[in-house]
Amino acid sequence: MFDWKRRRKQLFQEFEAHIDIQTKENIEAGMPPEAARQAARKKFGNVLLAAEQSREIWGGLWLERMLQDLRYAVRSLSGAPAYTVALLCTLVLGLGSVTTMSAIVESILIRPVALPHSEQLVQMYSEDGPGGFNASQIALSYKAIEELQRNAHSFSSLTGYNTMARPVTASDGTSISVLTVATPEFFATFGVQAKLGRLIGPGDARAAVAVVTDEFWRERLHADPKAVGATIKVSGQDQTVIGVLPAGVHVPQGTGGQIVYLPVSINASGQDDFKLDSALAVARLKPGISPKQAREDAQNVFSHADRSNAEQGKRLAMRSYQDLVVSDLQRPLLTLLGGVGVLLLIACANAANLQIGRATSRMQEMTTRSALGASFGRLLQQLVTESILVSLLGATLGAALSYVAIQVLRNAYRMQYSRFDELSIHPIVLVSTGLLAILVGVLASIAPLFSIRRQTTAPVNSRNASRTSRLAGVLVAIQVALTCVLLVVSGLFVRTLRSLEHVNLGFDPRNVTTLILMPEQQNQDPERSREIETRLLQRFETLPGVQSVAMQTDIPFSNYNVVLNGTSEVSGRAYHEGDAANYSMVSSNFVRASGIRLLQGRDFVPQDAASPAMLILVNETFVKKYLVGQHPIGASVRFHRNPGETDADIPFSQPMTIIGVVENEIQGGDLGAPHQPMVYLDYMKLPGSSFLSAVFSMTAQYAIRSPLAPAVMASELRATVAKEAPSMVQMNLQPMEDAIAQSLDQRRLALRLVAGFGVIALLLSAVGIYGVLAYSVALRRRDIGIRMALGSTRGKAAGLIMRQAGIMTLIGLIPGIAGACATGYAVRSFLYGVKMFDPASIVVSGCLLVIVFLVAASLPALRAAQVDPVEMLRAE
Amino acid sequence: MQGTLDLLILQTVAPGQLHGHAIANSIERRSGEALQVGHGSLYPALQRLLKLGFIVAEDGISENNRKARFYRLTAKGRKQLVVEASKWQKLSDAITRILAPAAEKTPL
Repeated sequence: MFDWKRRRKQLFQEFEAHIDIQTKENIEAGMPPEAARQAARKKFGNVLLAAEQSREIWGGLWLERMLQDLRYAVRSLSGAPAYTVALLCTLVLGLGSVTTMSAIVESILIRPVALPHSEQLVQMYSEDGPGGFNASQIALSYKAIEELQRNAHSFSSLTGYNTMARPVTASDGTSISVLTVATPEFFATFGVQAKLGRLIGPGDARAAVAVVTDEFWRERLHADPKAVGATIKVSGQDQTVIGVLPAGVHVPQGTGGQIVYLPVSINASGQDDFKLDSALAVARLKPGISPKQAREDAQNVFSHADRSNAEQGKRLAMRSYQDLVVSDLQRPLLTLLGGVGVLLLIACANAANLQIGRATSRMQEMTTRSALGASFGRLLQQLVTESILVSLLGATLGAALSYVAIQVLRNAYRMQYSRFDELSIHPIVLVSTGLLAILVGVLASIAPLFSIRRQTTAPVNSRNASRTSRLAGVLVAIQVALTCVLLVVSGLFVRTLRSLEHVNLGFDPRNVTTLILMPEQQNQDPERSREIETRLLQRFETLPGVQSVAMQTDIPFSNYNVVLNGTSEVSGRAYHEGDAANYSMVSSNFVRASGIRLLQGRDFVPQDAASPAMLILVNETFVKKYLVGQHPIGASVRFHRNPGETDADIPFSQPMTIIGVVENEIQGGDLGAPHQPMVYLDYMKLPGSSFLSAVFSMTAQYAIRSPLAPAVMASELRATVAKEAPSMVQMNLQPMEDAIAQSLDQRRLALRLVAGFGVIALLLSAVGIYGVLAYSVALRRRDIGIRMALGSTRGKAAGLIMRQAGIMTLIGLIPGIAGACATGYAVRSFLYGVKMFDPASIVVSGCLLVIVFLVAASLPALRAAQVDPVEMLRAE
Repeated sequence: MQGTLDLLILQTVAPGQLHGHAIANSIERRSGEALQVGHGSLYPALQRLLKLGFIVAEDGISENNRKARFYRLTAKGRKQLVVEASKWQKLSDAITRILAPAAEKTPL
């Protein structure tokens, strides 16, 4: 660099000498000194151009020029603070949100799970759920898992596990924890090592040992390094803690929190201690084995498994472990990424517009430089450098902003969503943001370049710059279109949330408190559990202020629901494969107490207890699906037996008789989920010793209706449980309406984000149109002044500007609405209770856009109206 | 024509060392003012020849006691001059031959 400086100086000295010599010669030829020097200069030509061209030959000039441009850019930007701040804000918003979203997508969807060779981990599942009592629709039976472990050759390790919530007692008392019960190969399959002690291994199949996560160790065992060897009670059973997992390891789900791991023990009938006969399976592929080969191998083993197995004939499917962990997040995250992408486009258009405006005001400077010999390429480099400089600055600030956003998001949602505890901005994201910023810088500066080219090639200093760049108008129209898309989608989301808030629950949730209890002792005699649960039900009913109490194994918005998905055969209808219904157990006064609407028939009555028949209530969907054109009351339903199955494979063979039809009720915690056919059984009618009864009595869920304040009700209920049933652990106690609100939280988050994008887009576009019109007015002052002098009015002058705004808006609205329809189609799966083509959303968004734009345009229009024709003409 | 100026410069500095102004003057004079270029455009060509190693420059004092930079042909430059000059000669001959018949016909 110093060498350049020296050489540059030398070059100029040489030029000077040249001119001196020529001057001397001229003087000797008889010219007066002044004229001699002038003639010498003229003969030499453009000194700067010659220097520039000479230095170009040295090479490395680009770097020197860039540094020069950078210095110049910094100087010229700090000379226009308003413009710089507006441009920076635009870019920070655009690039910051893109960085945040890409960091999330990269951390969660793209980055491999932080387990050794995580690409070898797969989940195996049954494509169509097996019959019987399952942990999940996709679970495989323990029998099948064992067969696969023994006979499939594609896996280096394979494990089955179930996850549930159970009361865990440590030295600090009893509270609910996540419990993962797994086969001994579990940790070896995932390739996890212990932080303290050791993990469950092959020898631990029947041992009373437990492994806990780092969070459990910190929060429940006081981070005691000697915690290994301590005893905790899980569902009333003593377990010895043998190891602690390292921080950040959250197998299998990927969500953080307190988790206790126990080895599973399977009894002779293929069930574990929790009466489950199936589990989710995860396997590690042997190196070099493709998932396809492994699936074929496993299917082969599966098909030749024990003939009496109910799973025989079922098909196996396989997905990567990564998919298992994040598949729920994939679509929402990618949709949000698309949203910020649109936002970035709007920001880019805005940046281009601001630069066009600035370029217009710098035209004088540019034409002068061009006249002094600066080539178009040189001016181009200068402008692009300036634009990239601002972009990179914007990206840096944006990255800082997204760093904060990522910290906030990680802390807020680490327990809620898979892998959110791993959120961070990795170098790759920063690099792509940097590249994106350069791209944005180049794109945004290309637009003003066209107008400069047009004007620099025009005669110098011609003042016919009154015609504003058409490109600026096109850019505003594009912004309008993109903003319209975001606004309409926001509208669709708002309407979705509103319809979810007003969804017909099928019952009245007001004044209802949900209480969920679980016996502390896992293996408590089901008969005894039922007796305690019934006694509590009766006690609750007699509490002062209580209107009614219902017990349901499937209570809306509970996380502890137990339903049986049973293949069902309805009399008078041929059985089709896949005919099934969800079976829920309810207390005898279910209809009256739960507030569900009875559409036909009658409720259970105490006299039914004496009747030998098994009586049931069904919901509307059941009738619509299986009893078309039939009278539902009195129809008979039975569990279907597949060929080869015995009565032992189905819950019971006794036929059930429908006595009533009730309205569809929300099932589970998703307000938008479609209704499933549902069968309600009176829990008193099931023999207490039966398998079903045992499963169903594992939790007791009460819905208590009372006009008392929720806090009063809660303390009363708590006191009653402590007095009447101290062996029951409280899993959950909250007003039903709180649970409903919580279930909407996730959608609210997405809604807020998308609505936020809409608002930012609207703001950016308003700034964009304001900028374009303000410059347009500045350039047309003379034009307007002359018009006024010739008799035009102030109103007409303002109208001129407003018309320009109106045209830009209308041109943008048409593709905007078309784009909104296309986007509505793309996000249709997120919508509920609103059509993807929703005229109301489109009309409201369109009106909002027009209003905001008219306001943004009114300022420049007002300024146009204030042009003083006398002043303008005097300036001529 | 690309390279013409280079060739002229090489030819001009072949007898001995010269400074920029002298080179410009010499070219101007010897070409019978047919090659009218701004003296400034001489310098990028000088820089190019310097970079290619055909000439070298060193500081010195001009005939009228002015500090100036003098350019001198190198061995490599001399070789290049021969190559370029013969190339140019061939081209020139070719053009002359093409133009000749027309020139012979016209007097008839």
